Amino acid sequence: MLKSLTRISSFIGKELREAVRRPGALASLILGPFLIMAIFGIGYRGYRDPFVTEVVTPTDSNLPTDPGYYEQLTEGRLRIVRVSHDEDAALQRLRNREIDFVVAAPPNAAEQLQAGKQSAVHVSWNEIDPVADGLAQVAVGALIHELNAEIIREAAKQGFQAAAAEGAEVKQVPPEVIAEPTKAETQNVAPSKPDVLDFFGPAVFALVLQHLAVTLTALSMVRERLGGQMDRFRVSPLNSMELLIGKYLAYAVFSLVISAVVAALLVFVLGVPMLGGLLPFAAIVLLLSFASLGVGLLISLISDSERQAVQLSMLVLLASVFFSGFVLPVEEFIQPVRYLAYVLPVTHGIDTLQESMLRGGIGDAWMLGALGVIGVVLYLGSLLRLRRVLRGAE
Amino acid sequence: MTPPSSPSAAERPIIELRNVTRRFNGLTAVDDLSLSLGRGMMLGMIGPSGSGKTTTVRMATGTLQPSFGEIRVLNEDPRRFSRRAREAIAYMPQLFSLYDDLTASENLNFVAGLFGVYFWRRSRIIRRALETVDLWDARDRLARNLSGGMQRRLELACALVHDPQVLFLDEPTAGIDPVLRLSIWNSLRALRDEGRTLLVTTQYVSDAEHCDEIVLLAKGRLVAIDEPEALRRRAFGGDVLRVHTERTVEPQMLADVAHLTMVRQDSPRSLTVVTDDAGTASPAIVEALRRQGIAVASVEEYQPSYDDAFAVLVKDSEKNGTGSDQPDQASGR
Repeated sequence: MLKSLTRISSFIGKELREAVRRPGALASLILGPFLIMAIFGIGYRGYRDPFVTEVVTPTDSNLPTDPGYYEQLTEGRLRIVRVSHDEDAALQRLRNREIDFVVAAPPNAAEQLQAGKQSAVHVSWNEIDPVADGLAQVAVGALIHELNAEIIREAAKQGFQAAAAEGAEVKQVPPEVIAEPTKAETQNVAPSKPDVLDFFGPAVFALVLQHLAVTLTALSMVRERLGGQMDRFRVSPLNSMELLIGKYLAYAVFSLVISAVVAALLVFVLGVPMLGGLLPFAAIVLLLSFASLGVGLLISLISDSERQAVQLSMLVLLASVFFSGFVLPVEEFIQPVRYLAYVLPVTHGIDTLQESMLRGGIGDAWMLGALGVIGVVLYLGSLLRLRRVLRGAE
Repeated sequence: MTPPSSPSAAERPIIELRNVTRRFNGLTAVDDLSLSLGRGMMLGMIGPSGSGKTTTVRMATGTLQPSFGEIRVLNEDPRRFSRRAREAIAYMPQLFSLYDDLTASENLNFVAGLFGVYFWRRSRIIRRALETVDLWDARDRLARNLSGGMQRRLELACALVHDPQVLFLDEPTAGIDPVLRLSIWNSLRALRDEGRTLLVTTQYVSDAEHCDEIVLLAKGRLVAIDEPEALRRRAFGGDVLRVHTERTVEPQMLADVAHLTMVRQDSPRSLTVVTDDAGTASPAIVEALRRQGIAVASVEEYQPSYDDAFAVLVKDSEKNGTGSDQPDQASGR
């Protein structure tokens, strides 16, 4: 038992000494994630510029020609740069990508309305980005809604004026109420009101923590396998469990120290809230590190070269960015892809860290359990593989 | 020579290979090799690159599995060494496999820990190991900043640090200058004198003289196994004499001299003679030539270099298509 502890502690000491010998790497490991988050927080505005829009009105209409009039109808989603009468020229400018939107008013809207028919407002845009396309749809919906409300307001006003002129007794309902009989009074009951940095901070932190753990361990074991050290381990009394525990503990110490420093910078410098307190945060970080180290160790044990280990680590990172909920919500994927998301430690790390730091709770407690299960399964998988590598003579 | 049959525990070989063969994808790296090595012996394994030395060492340490045959080290199968056996074994790989970012003493500290040496015992034994290989002054230098020769010595120190009883050293003197090589061989002999068993591979044929026994390998086959001096004699069929005369001499003039196995004309006035016993043959040669009216200027016993001797043995082996020693004759004590 004492000799086992001696062997394990040898590994911890060796790994930590090696890490300390690379102060540049150590500094970049700590400062890198912090700088990424700081730049993200400072640089990300959380909104996009309004669409540059040209309004086309019929030549013989009496529609306003002041761009400001149309702009106030769009609640800032469109920036009206021109009101013209030539739709073809406007569409050419749209194709040339000089403008983002062309809104063409119908030529005979009043007649159509009096005839009891809908008029079509032609709205065109030129987008290949599906997100921007979605935003354009929303902007058009809001524009049409506001346009219809304005028409109803105007019609109601004229109706009341006509009725009053004829001496009719009508109940005076404000045209605004007729146009929009209901309005939303909103309230966000979340315990904190995070800005973009606050919300993405824990997610970036979880992603960086997983990536660090995966990359460090993946490369460490591959180096030992390719550098000939594994032959020395094979001849020595070291067994696979001692080696694995030594690696886990060394990199856990390493990850936790880096996490503590980055978390301190996150909270005290960038001001990200930590409503849940230190203990749940530490527990999540511990479980996330445990599971992520398992991913790295497994990569290192199945890779034949450093290049392959780096490639697999990058694949894990890419999968994490796409499927973990970091960019796109997990709930928006089909069920089989969600399973893939739940296999990634960072999916649970992001969710539980955001819940803990921004809501003060754990949220879905099963996610903590999932992190533990992923960690144990990867540990056992690594142990089996390492046993074959270490004791299975070629 | 010790036959490998039912020895007592004290006499049991420390390292024993019986008809061991290792093949890689159809290529035979080691072919039907048998040898045994007793306690307190140093066996040198010599052969050109690709002769199967490293493969043999790796099989004996359990890092490589033989295709056929049986290996016993400390009376255990290397593939299933007990912890106690592992703690008694040291392995020095052919290539540098330590950690560049650790200092010399930190590398030793790590390896000592691997072998279960407790913290409180380490400083003394690390110092002793570093002093043995003359690296104590470089103890705080990072391994990556050591020269190639110093890195080999550091590897050797790592093999010694846990006080092993059996050492497998794969080319421990590669890349080391002759003065330090001699110093390392002196250290290895001192370890042997303390009762440790060493299997050492080397490409330097001249290193053979430091070993108790030599295994000569070529293309995976055992060419010869014997004490270094005996192998040298065997290469030429006996003692080699150089005979220089005052007048022209011919080989047939020695036809009546007994115990000569070979007579070769080197120049008109010199012959090379191979005999079973130089002591009795020398006066007989002088007398035979004197009777034929030829005065002998000198008769010298020629000591061929190990390089020459082993080259002859390997050449003979290739000519015969088999090893010089049959596997069941492989010696050991």
